Amino acid sequence: MKRTLAILLLVLVCAASVSAEGSARLTIAYQYGLAYAPVVVAMQQGLIEKAYADAAGGELEIEWVQMSSGADINTGVMSGSVDVGFMGVGPALTGISKNVGYRIFSSLSGQEHGLMSSDPEIKSLSDIIGSGSQIALVNIGSIQHIILARALSLNGSDPHALDANLVAMKHPDGMNALLTGSLPLHLTTNPYIYRERETEGLYEIEELKSAWPKENSFIVGVAAIEMHDSEPELYAALCSGLSAAIEYVNGNIEATAELTSQYDGNAVEDEIRYLQMGNYSAETRGVEEMAAFMFENGFIEADPGSYADLVFDNVKGN
Amino acid sequence: MQKKPALRDLAEKLAFAAAVLALWEIVARAHVFGMRSEIIFPRLGTIAAAFVKNFVKGYAGVSLWTYLLNSMKLLLEGMGIGILLAFVFSGLSMVSRSFHNIYSLIVAVADLLPGVALLPVVIIIFGVNPGVIVFLVVHSVIWPMSRNLIDGFRSVPKIYVEAGKNLGLTGTGLLRRVYFPAAMSYIVSGLKVGWARAWRGLISAEMIFGIAAAPGIGMYINQMRTNMNNAEMYATLVVIVIIGLFVQYGILNPVEKNTVVKWGMRKL
Amino acid sequence: MSALLKIEGLSKVYDDDSAELAVIDNLNMTVEQGEFLCILGPSGCGKTTLLRCIAGFERCTGRILVNGEQITGPGTDRIMVFQDFNQLFPWLTVEKNIQFGLKRQGIRDREQLARITADVLKKVRMHGYGRHYPYQLSGGMKQRVAIARALALKPSIILMDEPFAALDAITRNTLQQEVLAISREENCTFIFITHNIQEGIVLGTRLMLMEPGGRIAIDIRNPIARPVSPSSPGYGALWDRLYAALYDTQRGNPV
Repeated sequence: MKRTLAILLLVLVCAASVSAEGSARLTIAYQYGLAYAPVVVAMQQGLIEKAYADAAGGELEIEWVQMSSGADINTGVMSGSVDVGFMGVGPALTGISKNVGYRIFSSLSGQEHGLMSSDPEIKSLSDIIGSGSQIALVNIGSIQHIILARALSLNGSDPHALDANLVAMKHPDGMNALLTGSLPLHLTTNPYIYRERETEGLYEIEELKSAWPKENSFIVGVAAIEMHDSEPELYAALCSGLSAAIEYVNGNIEATAELTSQYDGNAVEDEIRYLQMGNYSAETRGVEEMAAFMFENGFIEADPGSYADLVFDNVKGN
Repeated sequence: MQKKPALRDLAEKLAFAAAVLALWEIVARAHVFGMRSEIIFPRLGTIAAAFVKNFVKGYAGVSLWTYLLNSMKLLLEGMGIGILLAFVFSGLSMVSRSFHNIYSLIVAVADLLPGVALLPVVIIIFGVNPGVIVFLVVHSVIWPMSRNLIDGFRSVPKIYVEAGKNLGLTGTGLLRRVYFPAAMSYIVSGLKVGWARAWRGLISAEMIFGIAAAPGIGMYINQMRTNMNNAEMYATLVVIVIIGLFVQYGILNPVEKNTVVKWGMRKL
Repeated sequence: MSALLKIEGLSKVYDDDSAELAVIDNLNMTVEQGEFLCILGPSGCGKTTLLRCIAGFERCTGRILVNGEQITGPGTDRIMVFQDFNQLFPWLTVEKNIQFGLKRQGIRDREQLARITADVLKKVRMHGYGRHYPYQLSGGMKQRVAIARALALKPSIILMDEPFAALDAITRNTLQQEVLAISREENCTFIFITHNIQEGIVLGTRLMLMEPGGRIAIDIRNPIARPVSPSSPGYGALWDRLYAALYDTQRGNPV
């Protein structure tokens, strides 16, 4: 029995040490959708590898992993199998407050959010409060939920006044539910919000538009503190490669659209429009404000700290 | 003499469970998965504390009890409807050859479809309400249950049917008093499979479709995951396991003991 | 007085896709009230099929009348005792098995049910076994309960399809004696199938031998006075006659 246990432990320890080994290797996790367009560009054009070769002269091997939620990426970073991840500002701040062991190294994109109503009687947040009308959004505790809470707060209402009205379902399911009249409200983002705005007979709740405008950081990149501290050249290559990708997206919208439409299945013309409506920038905006709001309203339990605790030294913004 | 093997079985199971828990604790303390493995691989003590916290404090002021009760209500509703329909349709399959022909095709096809993949369609039909979850539970129960029932009915020895007819049974009486008890061992396995599928189906459905006004245990797990409260998440999985074991050992096994085992149709 | 059982022009054809096999071809016979008819015959001669037709389990052409009325399916006036020990419902105790048919006949009174059950169990010497489940009984005991279950319903005819064929010789002899005793006490008609000549001579008041194709080769009144034993006068001659006929029919049987 003792021997079996010892062997098992040995195997586990070996497996763990192997995955932590290798200096010029990087595992980057990202998610699905247009908000991640610069990541797709960096991946396709090898921009981070190029930056590493130019600065350090070595070869960098990157493993790209597509994951389906920030929570998955958080687990990956914690276990040491993911070095860099791209996720919503909400899960990133949750991870930082939980001491997952990463900080924000760059903003990636800001996107528009909108709350669409199919009921002509519902045109403002105050029409919903106390009505029991259901609001579809992607997850309870998601960034969309936090944005709704912020809109309520800015409007002078209780940020949790609509918590009981929420229904968690994926973006496309929520859009279907709204369009078929299964529920009257859907809070969503790019590209679904654009499609819903183009649909006749739907009304937009104006208060939500300004709660988290596209100028604010929506998707951010996080990097393991260990990697930042022990491999500064690799970290520098990551930052410069990604900013080159962001620059490319902003300067070559059509070429980017050609590339990303292969993954999204949208028509290129639509893709161009959606890309133009996004805001791609490495500079963060509103991150500290978001952290404070989440902590004050119970979306995270521990105080994540000030801006300097949230991002690495080289990051610009607020 | 009869008691001894039962005690030994129990001791074996407990020893195995203790070994698994000990291994877990060793892995957690040894930080096998890196410096921060405490968060993804918490110690048993942390999970136990989270277990209590789930019920006392819960999430956003709502205790896990509320989530549990909501889920159990939907589960029982779904299982009840699913089992009833399985009995009705399987019974009809025994009566009509054409019905059996078509129904076995439906079972073969429908059993392959993952419930959560049907979600968009189900929402359109049922609207956004807990009925969607009930439907998905029914979906996960009815097909394996029907398979077992039909197999069970078809394997009822001809001699029981003839004896039943000879003793004055016809139609539904024959179904109720001969086919059902004769197929009991299939019915019990159907219940076991159906229960496990329903429980899993419920939780996976709740994880991707959550109505905040009627929150279920799957939604709780999802919230704990989103908030990186992994100890609380594991503690919730423990709750799920406890309920599962209770149903297995507290309900299904006694049903088996008091029917097919008592009748000598199957050994325990 | 008309016969209890009257069979007219009975034919049974098994439609086996490739070939039609006439198991019984235009059979006519009658059975009187109180008779104990033993039907002997080689395997495949159609004796079981005949019994199943009378029980109403098989579709067939021709007419089968019981007490002057044509039968249309199984009924409690003709109860079958099968060869298979597993004819009792395993999910019911011995007494519930016996009461099963009675309850279908609308007898709900508990005392009456208990009285009938005790009565028939005593007749087959199974009193005290009412609470047992069938799996706890031996083969011979199960057959006794099956006979009790039949007796409880007071049928016009009890149909027995080689009920003792799978039993050991000692149990078999015991059960023969018990059935014989029962048949003398009860006002009931028996049709008993066997391929055991001794069994036929011991039990039957009338003996019939069937040939393949369902033809009746021998149909005689049993000349030996009851109780029959191998030392009874005439036993040897009758045994020889039946044996020769059986051997003959078997030789003529292509199977």
